[in-house]
Amino acid sequence: MSLFEKFSEARALERALMELPVNPTGTIISEVVSATEAIIDGKLKIMAGTNNYLGLTFDTDCIAAGQQALLEAGTGTTGSRMANGTYQQHLDLEAEIADFFDYSYGMVFSTGYSANIGMLTALLNSEDSVLIDSEGHASLFDGCRMSGAKIYRFKHNDPEGLRKRLSRLGKASKDALIVVEGLYSVRGDCAPLKEYVDVKNEFGSYLMIDEAHSLGLYGENGRGLAEDQGVSDEVDFIVGTFSKSLGSIGGFCVSNHPELSLIRYASRPYIFTASPSPSVIATTRQALKKIGSCPKLREVVWSNAKFLHSGLSQLGFQIGADVSPVIGIPFKEREVALNYWQNLFNKGVYTNLILPPAAPDGGSLIRCSVTAAHSKEQISFILDAFEAIKNG
Amino acid sequence: MTHSKIVIRLIELLEGLVPSVDNFDKETALVSDAGLESIQVIEYLCEVEDEFDIVIDEEALSYVNTVGDLAETVLKISGGKS
Repeated sequence: MSLFEKFSEARALERALMELPVNPTGTIISEVVSATEAIIDGKLKIMAGTNNYLGLTFDTDCIAAGQQALLEAGTGTTGSRMANGTYQQHLDLEAEIADFFDYSYGMVFSTGYSANIGMLTALLNSEDSVLIDSEGHASLFDGCRMSGAKIYRFKHNDPEGLRKRLSRLGKASKDALIVVEGLYSVRGDCAPLKEYVDVKNEFGSYLMIDEAHSLGLYGENGRGLAEDQGVSDEVDFIVGTFSKSLGSIGGFCVSNHPELSLIRYASRPYIFTASPSPSVIATTRQALKKIGSCPKLREVVWSNAKFLHSGLSQLGFQIGADVSPVIGIPFKEREVALNYWQNLFNKGVYTNLILPPAAPDGGSLIRCSVTAAHSKEQISFILDAFEAIKNG
Repeated sequence: MTHSKIVIRLIELLEGLVPSVDNFDKETALVSDAGLESIQVIEYLCEVEDEFDIVIDEEALSYVNTVGDLAETVLKISGGKS
């Protein structure tokens, strides 16, 4: 087989997608108008398929902080955290993210993906067992696989299934790592974290929660689903990203285990990459402050989420019971989903199209998300578009 | 439990998930023949694990294509005690 022969399936997929009037995987944003609007294909679209949950990408304080950091510290660090890439601002953000979660220790990575890979490959080796929700993010699976650990999947959001599997592991269950998410980003459903903590405590295992999509949305202080379900004190590792509610880029882990500092010496994705640029660190720090100082943002995004969820339910779409800023609308037929996505796009609404194998149940999904920056008029516009397509 | 008895039970579990167009046997490939979707694979394997009171790690599953392969894996993990 030649080097590129293995891409024959990808080539066929690319050709099929290119034949569509608009390639759902290749939309090009020519101009970002605001946190909720962009110009695509020369036309204004309402963005209902982002992860900009708190709408902070155009926050004036965050932009000012980034601009100031650019002027003061330049465009990039040009080096690894273990070499010339640790600035005081990186350490400040690590302290602030730990403080935000009320944990003892924090560690910052260059992306959310590298945070998950970096933590899992450092924590686990071939002698370890990891139990992971079958609908966990690709970065979690990649990290588990790259670690060489024995990987056991359990059914999505099934604490009893997890308990059964731990019980069969015997002594290995005591040091096993359980990996779940808070808010799942495709269907928009939440993990039963309290039940997972009960199982973890029954066996003495460790628990890692990826709060990538729940940070800033859940809990009294916006810390995420663990705070919301009252189990923050019993979680071993919280990982997440700065690229969603915080409107920036980067990843993190917080923990009360002092060994987190040792991960720095063992995590190749932490060591062998450039550290986040000063402007990224500055906007992230400012956005983190906003979560604390502007609880109104959470009120607005939840009000918008309820409005969209209620509207789509009334239109008869079979969406999940959990109300969240992410709503997955399932379609059995790929063509129907594609047609819906295309029509929404033509009507000025950008959503995410998720096709097999990325969709969790083998079907297809349109993922719709709202932010604190959406107006009620914009959400009505989104709902009107869905209704018009449904009514043919 | 013998390999052939495990195969019979695996087929029964498989038939509970997907209709058997042709009769399933040990040569039936779980995805390409039985047509299990990705979520059904998870569901099926969880049922298999519960049935035989075992856990199957991803590495062991990488060698599984057919019902017969899965029976071999079950036999190996359970030590023939299932």
